[in-house]
Amino acid sequence: MTKSTRTALILGGSLLFLATAASAHTPLCACYDNGDGTVLCEGGYSDGSSAANVPMIVRNEAGETLLEGAVDANGEFEFERPEGFHDVLFDAGEGHQIVVPQDEIY
Amino acid sequence: MKKLLAATALSAFALAAPAMAHFQLVYGPDMNVRKPVQMPLKLIFWHPFENGHAMDMGQPEEFFYVLKGKKTDISDSLRPITFQGANNESAAFEGVLPVKRNGDYIVGLVPAPYYEGSEDIYIQQITKTFVNKGGAPTGWNEPVGMKTEFVPLNKPYNVIAGSTFSARLLSGGKPVVGAEVEVEYLAAEPDMEANAPSEVTARPMPGGALVACTDENGVFTFGIPKAGFWGFAALGSGPDTEHAGKELSQDAVIWIKAFDLE
Repeated sequence: MTKSTRTALILGGSLLFLATAASAHTPLCACYDNGDGTVLCEGGYSDGSSAANVPMIVRNEAGETLLEGAVDANGEFEFERPEGFHDVLFDAGEGHQIVVPQDEIY
Repeated sequence: MKKLLAATALSAFALAAPAMAHFQLVYGPDMNVRKPVQMPLKLIFWHPFENGHAMDMGQPEEFFYVLKGKKTDISDSLRPITFQGANNESAAFEGVLPVKRNGDYIVGLVPAPYYEGSEDIYIQQITKTFVNKGGAPTGWNEPVGMKTEFVPLNKPYNVIAGSTFSARLLSGGKPVVGAEVEVEYLAAEPDMEANAPSEVTARPMPGGALVACTDENGVFTFGIPKAGFWGFAALGSGPDTEHAGKELSQDAVIWIKAFDLE
């Protein structure tokens, strides 16, 4: 076995491992109205891993960004409800995006 | 002759009954929710596998939940109800679990000790159950500091029927080796409106209580053959052994929910 084949195999193995881990790793996001004009969102994963630093985008009905932030180390993102607020996008990349519409904020 | 037959049948029933176990139930139909909810929970002390005799509960000593390591007292939500068992009615309670944030709500009940006349002892079944919101796991596999408790090694609110469930039994935070764990199926789930058993879906088999034992690490494993609620009780595993001058059996109880893989 050449060195490059071995490297390719190791790389392949690592990719497989990463892919397997990702499939058991569903993103979760829920938001709550704090009743004082602010909204609190919780982001995380179904395996309990942290979603810290995942971008959170607050949008209007046209899908335009009104506010941007990120999930903090406690898995939370809080914002003041802006004029024209429609939904929140938890944006952990392709296949890991969640949109929480206004009527699912409790 | 008929009287004699009836008496014999009754004695047989009476003899059969003690083989099944007392089980403290903390019941809500859903262990998995997606939206915030004020969830009613029924606290019933009975023989759930045989849909049998129900016992009167006194005012519980503690009723709480633990979410992300924070314990919240919800005993103010308790109100007395009457449970209409299949053969008798009993004093029971209803409480409310406020579910808002995502995560594992580990619900704990420390009931008042119950005097069991037939054994001349008190029984106190310290009971744990779970509600998960949003699929986020936040501590189902951690102890919550009860005097005696089961700590699950499998996620307790979505066990697959046909798989196994394991838990570690603790007393005063330390594993209990060689304890007998009685196992019961909730054969008739309580009707939340009627406070009575609903349809009976299973009956206990011969041979008495189902029993598994904890190993040298305090762990037991049981194969879960059927979807629904399963309860596990370790009798006398708690550190307290006396109440009001009589023997106290301080037990640990845990409830889990299994689903068919469809």
